[in-house]
Amino acid sequence: MTAEVIFYWSLSVTALGLIIIGIWGVLSRKNILRIALAFTLADTGVNLLLVWSGFAPGRSAPIVDSSVTSMVDPLPQALVLTSIVIGVAVAALFVVVGVLAARKSGSSDVRRMKELRW
Amino acid sequence: MIRSIVGLIIVLTLSAVVISVIPDLSVPVDLPRTGQYYTEHGVEDTGSVNLVTSVVVAYRGLDTLGEVVVLFSASTAVVLILTLIPVGSDPTPPSSIVALTARVLPAAVVLFGAYVITHGHLSPGGGFPGGAIVASAFLLVMLGSSSVPGSSKFLASIESLAGVTFGLLGFWGMMVFGQFLNNLVIPQGSPGKIVSAGIIPLVSLAIGAKVASELSSVFASYRNKGGEA
Repeated sequence: MTAEVIFYWSLSVTALGLIIIGIWGVLSRKNILRIALAFTLADTGVNLLLVWSGFAPGRSAPIVDSSVTSMVDPLPQALVLTSIVIGVAVAALFVVVGVLAARKSGSSDVRRMKELRW
Repeated sequence: MIRSIVGLIIVLTLSAVVISVIPDLSVPVDLPRTGQYYTEHGVEDTGSVNLVTSVVVAYRGLDTLGEVVVLFSASTAVVLILTLIPVGSDPTPPSSIVALTARVLPAAVVLFGAYVITHGHLSPGGGFPGGAIVASAFLLVMLGSSSVPGSSKFLASIESLAGVTFGLLGFWGMMVFGQFLNNLVIPQGSPGKIVSAGIIPLVSLAIGAKVASELSSVFASYRNKGGEA
């Protein structure tokens, strides 16, 4: 196990950890803004996992240069660029709807938002 | 307390499922076939040195158009909701540090954003990150003032113009080569120069203008107090 291989695996563990923390936060927190924060945390973890899936130890960034011999896969990085932008848009919408729901119920506690239950 | 424990149980079950389906733990040696093709033929196909940009704008340009549409609908929804039901209140005057920073820094931030947008085919960057940087300069200006931004017809027209430009550039490739967003409708030039890679810099510019104006109007609408709009 060289340092590069350890770095490679620690990236995947970090990504999975972020996803797990995010899902746990969405399930267990009560403040709607904290739920939004946990959601973006899981989103970041998914992005990191996608970038990691195209990465391999010892390869360089996918920018062609005469000194570059082996590059990482550019496709996951392009997909993550899309994913980040969509994540920002969804987070903005999440916060707006959350603020409006908190206004309506008088509290940011999701247990008191009776309109959202069925 | 019960919520935390139940959430923990669900999360642990999910991670057990994920760990059980992982096939084998070996460090990859070769790229997948698609990535292999992109790294070998990307420069001659598109003329862009940055292969991520060549995938985003040229190979998968149609997906990027869809992404722009998603961003457009989300920002429209935010602006629409906040115009109908304003949540803003009277902004508190900024502290002197924020006020001074908002006077000094935005020019440099906009310059950096313009650099990132225009060099998307040469170095890491492109329309999306550059547009976000320009929009952050707008946010800084807004935080440094205690006034409420008025109606943003200017932002809306920039956004529409950029969207129409993106679509027309795509159809240009369709007219010439029968491929949507084929970027070689103008000569690709020598890779590595600022004027190269066909229409990729123009598409980056359109995406950057669109992202910057959309995010700016989202930021402005958060401070919308209602009344005049």
